[in-house]
Amino acid sequence: MSLSIPLFIPLASGLLAMLLPRGAAWLARQLVLGGTFATLFYVVAMLVDFDSSAKGLQWVTRENWIETLGIHYSLGVDGLNLFLIAVTALLFTVCALWSALREWDRPRLYYFNLGLAETAVLGAFMAQDLALFVVFFDLMLVPFYFLIGVWGRGERVQATTKFVIYTLVGSLLMLAGAIALGVLSTPDGGQISFELADLQRRTLGHGTQVWIFLLFAAAFLVKAPAFPFHGWMPDTYRATPTPVLVLLSGILSKVGAYGFLRIVLPILPGASSTLQELMLVIAVVSILYGSVMAFSQDDARLVVGYSSIAQLGFITLGIFALDPKGAQGAVIQMVNHALVVAGLFFVIAVIAGRSRESESLERLGGLALRAPVLAALFLIVALATLAMPGSPNFVGEILILFGAFDEKIVYGLVASAGVALAAVYAIRLYQRTMHNRVGPDVEPGDLSWRLDMPAIAPVVLVLLALALYPQFVLHRTEATTTTKIAAAAAKSHQTPGPDRTASSAGAPDQSQK
Amino acid sequence: MILPLADVPAPHIDYKGLSPLIALVGGTVLVLMAALLRGRFVQRSLLPLLTLGTLGAAMGLSIWVWSPGDHRPIVESALEVDALALSLSLVFYVAGIATVLLAHRSAALSDAGAGEYYTLLLSSVTGMVLLAEAANLITLFVGIELLSIPLYVLCASQVRRRASLEAGLKYLVIGSVGSATLLYGLALIYGAAGTTSFAGIDRALGDTVSLSDPLLLTGIALACAGLAFKASVAPFHQWTPDVYQGAPTPVTAFMAVATKAAAFAIFLRLFDSALLSAQFQWAPALAALATITIVVGNVGAIAQDSLKRMLAWSGVAQAGYILAGVVVGTQKGLEATVFYLLVYLLMNVAAFAVVIARERVSEWGDGMRALEGLGRAAPWLAWPMTIAMLALAGFPATAGFIGKFYLIDAAVDGDYAWLGVVIVAGSMISLVYYLRVVAVMWMGPMEVRLPSLPGRPRTAKPVGGWSPEADAWAQPEVTLVAVACAAATMFFGIWPNPLFDLVADVGTSLASLVG
Amino acid sequence: MLQSYLPALVFLVLGGAIGGAFTLLNGVLGPRRPNPVKNEPYECGLPSEVKRSFRFGISFYLIAMLFILFDIEVIFLYPIAVQLKAFGVFALVETLVFIFLLLVAFVFVWRRGALEWK
Repeated sequence: MSLSIPLFIPLASGLLAMLLPRGAAWLARQLVLGGTFATLFYVVAMLVDFDSSAKGLQWVTRENWIETLGIHYSLGVDGLNLFLIAVTALLFTVCALWSALREWDRPRLYYFNLGLAETAVLGAFMAQDLALFVVFFDLMLVPFYFLIGVWGRGERVQATTKFVIYTLVGSLLMLAGAIALGVLSTPDGGQISFELADLQRRTLGHGTQVWIFLLFAAAFLVKAPAFPFHGWMPDTYRATPTPVLVLLSGILSKVGAYGFLRIVLPILPGASSTLQELMLVIAVVSILYGSVMAFSQDDARLVVGYSSIAQLGFITLGIFALDPKGAQGAVIQMVNHALVVAGLFFVIAVIAGRSRESESLERLGGLALRAPVLAALFLIVALATLAMPGSPNFVGEILILFGAFDEKIVYGLVASAGVALAAVYAIRLYQRTMHNRVGPDVEPGDLSWRLDMPAIAPVVLVLLALALYPQFVLHRTEATTTTKIAAAAAKSHQTPGPDRTASSAGAPDQSQK
Repeated sequence: MILPLADVPAPHIDYKGLSPLIALVGGTVLVLMAALLRGRFVQRSLLPLLTLGTLGAAMGLSIWVWSPGDHRPIVESALEVDALALSLSLVFYVAGIATVLLAHRSAALSDAGAGEYYTLLLSSVTGMVLLAEAANLITLFVGIELLSIPLYVLCASQVRRRASLEAGLKYLVIGSVGSATLLYGLALIYGAAGTTSFAGIDRALGDTVSLSDPLLLTGIALACAGLAFKASVAPFHQWTPDVYQGAPTPVTAFMAVATKAAAFAIFLRLFDSALLSAQFQWAPALAALATITIVVGNVGAIAQDSLKRMLAWSGVAQAGYILAGVVVGTQKGLEATVFYLLVYLLMNVAAFAVVIARERVSEWGDGMRALEGLGRAAPWLAWPMTIAMLALAGFPATAGFIGKFYLIDAAVDGDYAWLGVVIVAGSMISLVYYLRVVAVMWMGPMEVRLPSLPGRPRTAKPVGGWSPEADAWAQPEVTLVAVACAAATMFFGIWPNPLFDLVADVGTSLASLVG
Repeated sequence: MLQSYLPALVFLVLGGAIGGAFTLLNGVLGPRRPNPVKNEPYECGLPSEVKRSFRFGISFYLIAMLFILFDIEVIFLYPIAVQLKAFGVFALVETLVFIFLLLVAFVFVWRRGALEWK
């Protein structure tokens, strides 16, 4: 199985759609929808075929791309990114489906951007070369810039510009950090290489590690978004069209967290343990801030938006607990959150469709009796959001908290408050829209089986499936997540002493095998 | 009384190495003579074809002369043909060809006369090639004057437009000050080193001349200032926006890419070859200049509403990025500089081509609004502009990304990591104005409200103001240039290895940097 | 090294001193009997009609410039002609190329009408 095929099918279908003559524009949606489906099938086959006992990468593709700069076209899948790739393929398919059931202005351009976005996101998840990761990471912005700016609503141009500038400032800092990492870790007379495996093997002085760590953290935290870097979030979430918002909030936000696990912890173990406290503080503050903001918002989208900040705080907490359980919880939580957010935004879009495009909690309410199916689906998703025992989110959050309790009990305790707060905002959101008296804008009507169900049903079904059988994920992710944090965890446990660099050289090597 | 001299031996001339220059001069003469013929065919078709033929022939000969790692002194070491000279010559030829195509329907052609226009263009290209091949201070100065003087005239060639005349005059005055400063600096360097040849200066600096000799340092400072004028490096950049805006746009495009490449050819030859031993003296100063340039250029571009002015300021900023490659004084820095000049050519020409296509038909001229709704009305122009803007901003999958990557790589590698961070910071600021262009083209209002009876809103898709002449293919040669350059930008962004092979040759061409 | 400039300095001082001395003497000793005719710019011929806003026609400049260009370029021919034997065939060919280029320029200037008085 070659990873290039699922990676480039969406882009290829998008390009074809773009090149269609004006008269055949209606074909664009079929093409790209077909492309996302093909990718999804391929990824499902990968899930089945995945060897969960193997610790290393599978289906590795490795070619020289730019030899002079030591950049490789290097792809691979392991337990860390397998489910992120799967959920990406799923959500893109669902969003393409949701889009295909509706009319869009300039369909060819729209579907081209959708295809490009999928390829870019999948590329960022699959890349095993730092420079290639940066390429895909930045490339993601281009389609989203267009998708928000052209098909958004309200202050869309301003919002999309803000979004791109915020995120690109982060990723340009990461670019500088990545180049510095590649150049400075090259031994004298050695060939420069950005391949992650090579970078992991090479060592870097502690001071250098710290400033490179900060550059990477800037990019990943903006993307997430985490507390002090979320300035772009409210405007962008308000302006973005629903299917794009699902992708933005569900998938894009995970790339940053994934980057920490894939790149930062294994390659910069020293800095990761030094700056662990800083990251934990950011994580906990994000949890509290996001939760508090989420239950004071009137705009339903922003409730979900701020809850994402809190959820990503949890994920960051799990990662920087530097504990195997925490890291695994983080990976599971990434997948869960993507599904939950997708469900929530679709439901909100359906509600808005039943209430004159209103998304203000003040003007909604009382839909449950008029739309029982919608209410049932919403309830499932909302309960998953607040990590009800029995939901997959419960598994994720409990693992994260276990990890935090093991390593840093104070942060664990504060974060537990976040779990309680999640119940408050999730139930408030559900109540305000579904119960209470009928809002002034609400028109009767359940969700449409033809227009809405095809997109929502798969998300909820997968969520239920994961609730029933979380071992499917746990089993496949365990081996790799443990190795990814091994080096940094070893650093944080050992007492600071003169032999710091020596053991940091040794630790990544073990994790390579 | 006449004293008979002893026999003077004829100088050694390598005619093969000289052949591109001979072709250029021959072509110039031919075009000048053909311009005397009257008739529509000659003026409209024959002259541009002859010019294109000349540039094409020179390009072919340059490729023929090419051999990796070769230093071929021609004309008694006054000129030297190496990969650096040849690769930059390619930039000049391609820029020249693009300019001929872009100027095909320009008002400047009929105002100033087609023959004069093309002749001046060719002489300027000749000067640039001469400059790139210069191996001593004298040929350097001859080259820089031969490239500048025709450009002064070309700037003013749209004689019926006040702004064009003003630009020409401004460029003449400021360019002359720059040339004078440079000349004075070169004279002082000669005074200190006692030789005009670059190789000789390099030897002398390491040997007989003290590096703290005030004569030498003053000379370096003055030469640096003079070159900064030519390359529009801050704080010597003030002329750039005015001249770029006033000059006929094809000439602006030519200046933006070719003159910049020529100025950097000299930066490389003078600083990274002749004066490399004094790097400790000049590198901090140049690094400071680069930083100022990046900041000033990017900040200046933000508030611009004229596309030409915006591109001028962005050109200033880009000069700062490129200067970083010179500062480090390493083989990698040289390669990165040349690489960036090559891709800079592609992305800038694509952008200018779109500006030209629009300013000829739009009532907004070169204003930002001329691009409004271009994505819907003329995708063949909107895509090249989008790609050019994204590439200039350094988005991946475009050659601009790889170029910037390489420059930062070189900066970090040469112990100037902070300069790499400055480049990154500059790119961040630049997003504001590059993305604005993209937003104007694609994200205009979806629907326009039409006057209607109350209670019955009528809307329509905005296509107003688009005449048949505004169609992208009403000016096929301009669209062709835009599409070709944008396609090349994308291609080299995805598969840059041909360019890397090319600059790998260039990397070996300055003996001082090798080994 | 500065000593070698001493004669130049002496020359400068002497020149200034002698010139200044004569001007001064003239002003002090010379008789002055002004009358209106004497005060006119031209002592003989027609009174000048030139106003301050007068400009020479552009043709003057054009012709003057062309003259200087060709004039200076032709000066290069003399030393070569004098020492042609020493320089050999190469110089002869170079000179011919040079003259050819001059000729091209001349033909262009002529055909474009730059030599006609407008």
